[in-house]
Amino acid sequence: MPETVEVEIKGATSRGTLNRRNLLVLLPLIPIFVYLGAFFLFPMSRVLFDSFKSNKGEFTLENFQIVLHNPYRLAFLTSIKLGLVSALTAALPGALFAYLIEIKGSERIKKLVSSLSGVLSSTGGVPLAFMFIAAIGAQGSATTLLKNLGIDLYSGKFTLFSFTGLVIVYLYFQIPIMVVVFTPAVKALRNEWHEAATNLGATRFNYWRNIGIPILFPSFAASFLLLFANGFSAYATARAMTVGNVALVPLQIGSLVDGNIQVGGANIGKALAMGMVLISAVAMIPYLVIQRRTRRWQS
Amino acid sequence: MKRSLTLYTTLILGGIFVFLPFGSAAEFSFRDGGANKHSLKAYRWILEQPDFVHYLLVTLKLTVIAVVITILLMVPTVVWLHLRAQSLRPLMEFLTILPLVIPVVALAIGAQSAFPTWLQSTEYELSLMFAVLAMPYTYRTLDTGIAAIPLATLTEAARSLGANWFNTIIRVILPVIRSAVIGAVFIATALSLGEFTLTVLLHWDTFPTWVTSISQQNIVGAIALSIFSLAAAFLILIILNFTIFGARTKKVEE
Repeated sequence: MPETVEVEIKGATSRGTLNRRNLLVLLPLIPIFVYLGAFFLFPMSRVLFDSFKSNKGEFTLENFQIVLHNPYRLAFLTSIKLGLVSALTAALPGALFAYLIEIKGSERIKKLVSSLSGVLSSTGGVPLAFMFIAAIGAQGSATTLLKNLGIDLYSGKFTLFSFTGLVIVYLYFQIPIMVVVFTPAVKALRNEWHEAATNLGATRFNYWRNIGIPILFPSFAASFLLLFANGFSAYATARAMTVGNVALVPLQIGSLVDGNIQVGGANIGKALAMGMVLISAVAMIPYLVIQRRTRRWQS
Repeated sequence: MKRSLTLYTTLILGGIFVFLPFGSAAEFSFRDGGANKHSLKAYRWILEQPDFVHYLLVTLKLTVIAVVITILLMVPTVVWLHLRAQSLRPLMEFLTILPLVIPVVALAIGAQSAFPTWLQSTEYELSLMFAVLAMPYTYRTLDTGIAAIPLATLTEAARSLGANWFNTIIRVILPVIRSAVIGAVFIATALSLGEFTLTVLLHWDTFPTWVTSISQQNIVGAIALSIFSLAAAFLILIILNFTIFGARTKKVEE
């Protein structure tokens, strides 16, 4: 009997100190929770709630019904297509470049490439758009140069202010991003595996088919998803480049926010934003999960 | 021989990809009237604009504030997480990655409808938001940096020698994780200097948005400005990147 009493008291006191300690542990974390709550979670939950509200403030699904119809439907399809096409065209060259530099390059070259692709992947936006207008716009320097070499970019229907034009400009940051995210995977590819396979009689083709590609594929797929999400939601470059002739969701949200809209547009903008969040999450969550898993053996 | 041929082809193709657009835009920015006459006209024109210095200073000010917020907020948080709240690290990792998952356009519309008027009437709201946008990168940079040092041992040593928490963080931990902190500063700086989406959707004017508005009156001027800001960003980021990188590898070699 006395024994159990003692145990109970012990348990009670240690639980008591544990609770107090838990609180103390949380105390220094309050600033970050408050900060993220106020400047991130609060605005985002406001978008979520308002997207289900009518102009009068009642609950409704109407905003989402509107968003599923044209012109918004077309914008979603075009944005998804832009994300997919720019990711598809960037992923393979980026991966190949990362691989070749990693395998053949000296330390110095690797360092230079990693610095440069890091910089290029973060310089998006408006300067990029103007740079391409100057380079391959109708009066651009590269256009003139190519014309003198006998290649006329503008002989067909090409214009920089179009879907194709956007894809070309997006490649300028999509390929470097691919290099940045895919390089760790290539780095983790051990030389011993290749040697072991060769010793066991594997040809180059066998090695790639049964070892190289299966190992690299998850990272490749993850990088592809990141590129898709990035191309899908990019705003700055598209805004500077298109004059409303390519319908994209971010641009439509932008013009709703800017105020040149019919009455009640604000909550439609929020429904559009929720649609973007959803599509972006569908790509980004698998990306993050795969990244987490591969990082375990890559490091 | 075959080896270097592949390497050189790769490097040349990469070089064309990077420098053809950049170089030809640079050529364009020196044009004076036609394609055959070149001068520094566009650059002189930029310097004559009173707004040039004005918006440059606005952007620099907002950037400095965003960086200060980032460091004050993130360094103590990450140190504490590693020291006493390991179990909360997955939660924090999840929360800080969210700004990467949510498109900036969506966050902008949220900020516009959720923030009180007093906050929306000051441009400093941008600095507050830049710190949020940079968080996925700054958190991870600091997290990796701190995971690599014997934090508990250092802290116990400092504390048992009589240092208080403030001194422990400032004089013991901070110098050891210096390169991670510089990395975080570098990312927050790069992001804040070039941020466009949130700025324009919240109706503020900074250097990047000024460049767009100027393109309507002087396209060559806007291109010259873009070249100027891209070249400046390249230079700053590459110098920073090499110095951080250099410091890190040197330490490992020792």
